[in-house]
Amino acid sequence: MEQLNDLLAALLDGTSRDEALILYLQSSWVAQYVVSTRWAWPIAETLHFLGLALLFGTIGPLDFRLLGFMSHVPVSAFRALVPWAVAGFMINLVTGTVFLVTAPDQYMSNISWWLKALFLVIAGLNVLLFELTQRSKALEMKPGEDTPVVLKMIGGVSLVSWFMVLFFGRMLAFLGNAF
Amino acid sequence: MTELLAAIQDSALSIWVRESSSLLAYPMIITMHTFGLGVLVGASTVIDLRVLGVARQIPLASLKGIFVVMWMGFWLNAVTGVMLFAADPRTTGLFFIKMGSIAFGIAVIMLLRRTLYGDGGDGGTLLPVAKTYALLSLVTWVVATTTGRLMAYL
Repeated sequence: MEQLNDLLAALLDGTSRDEALILYLQSSWVAQYVVSTRWAWPIAETLHFLGLALLFGTIGPLDFRLLGFMSHVPVSAFRALVPWAVAGFMINLVTGTVFLVTAPDQYMSNISWWLKALFLVIAGLNVLLFELTQRSKALEMKPGEDTPVVLKMIGGVSLVSWFMVLFFGRMLAFLGNAF
Repeated sequence: MTELLAAIQDSALSIWVRESSSLLAYPMIITMHTFGLGVLVGASTVIDLRVLGVARQIPLASLKGIFVVMWMGFWLNAVTGVMLFAADPRTTGLFFIKMGSIAFGIAVIMLLRRTLYGDGGDGGTLLPVAKTYALLSLVTWVVATTTGRLMAYL
């Protein structure tokens, strides 16, 4: 509670905002628990890698379908994999939040983390674009029909942006100062 | 054995991967190793899930190409893995479990592929043994990924 007051005070007066946020996150029970055990961080890292494989494996086929591969299979068939991709994403959102809360200082000043976040936002906007404007068009495509260019672009942007999320995630330790 | 490991450690490749300050050395190699993991384990996971009954609307015949993707992931990681091992040739227990589980996982994948598409089959009939292979494959990749990741901490 004291840390929360400090954070609010810093946010209001605008000075030492980052330091206050870092101290606030590090004082949370999650951060306290992770730093107090030897295993929490490595286990979270392992789950983060399993989550990435699940996400890559289940979103990849849908992206390739949108690019025009396997065009005799309806897009709806590949959408059945999406809940598994969401599961992989949620595993990584939770474990990623654990990393961020436990060691905020090594991410907030890290260019690689901001680039990773940028590509996460691009990937998310790409999903929104598909769901809000292209979904019915994609689901109504006849088997064997040529895939419209906009769907190919969405598939391509998805593949590239998830690759970039992985790339800058792994480069956190080298482009910046993490770990 | 010790002499062999020492020779590896003194090789030009090992020294370059370990000591070069270039982002193209160790950082790029380990990043590509992580990408290869995503490709190999991800592609394997999707075929395993399909065999176990997820997304049945996808005809198994259309997923034959996924095995090619798996091999690309495998070879990317074989090459980058050799480079990472050369840089730091520590033969720990975790390392042997990881290598063993990868060898087992590849064997299971080859068996699964033969069960699904062998003898000119198109994946139309799903033998019960395919589900056993799919389950074994999932468990094996979890072990390989876990031991690989934990090597950084032990």
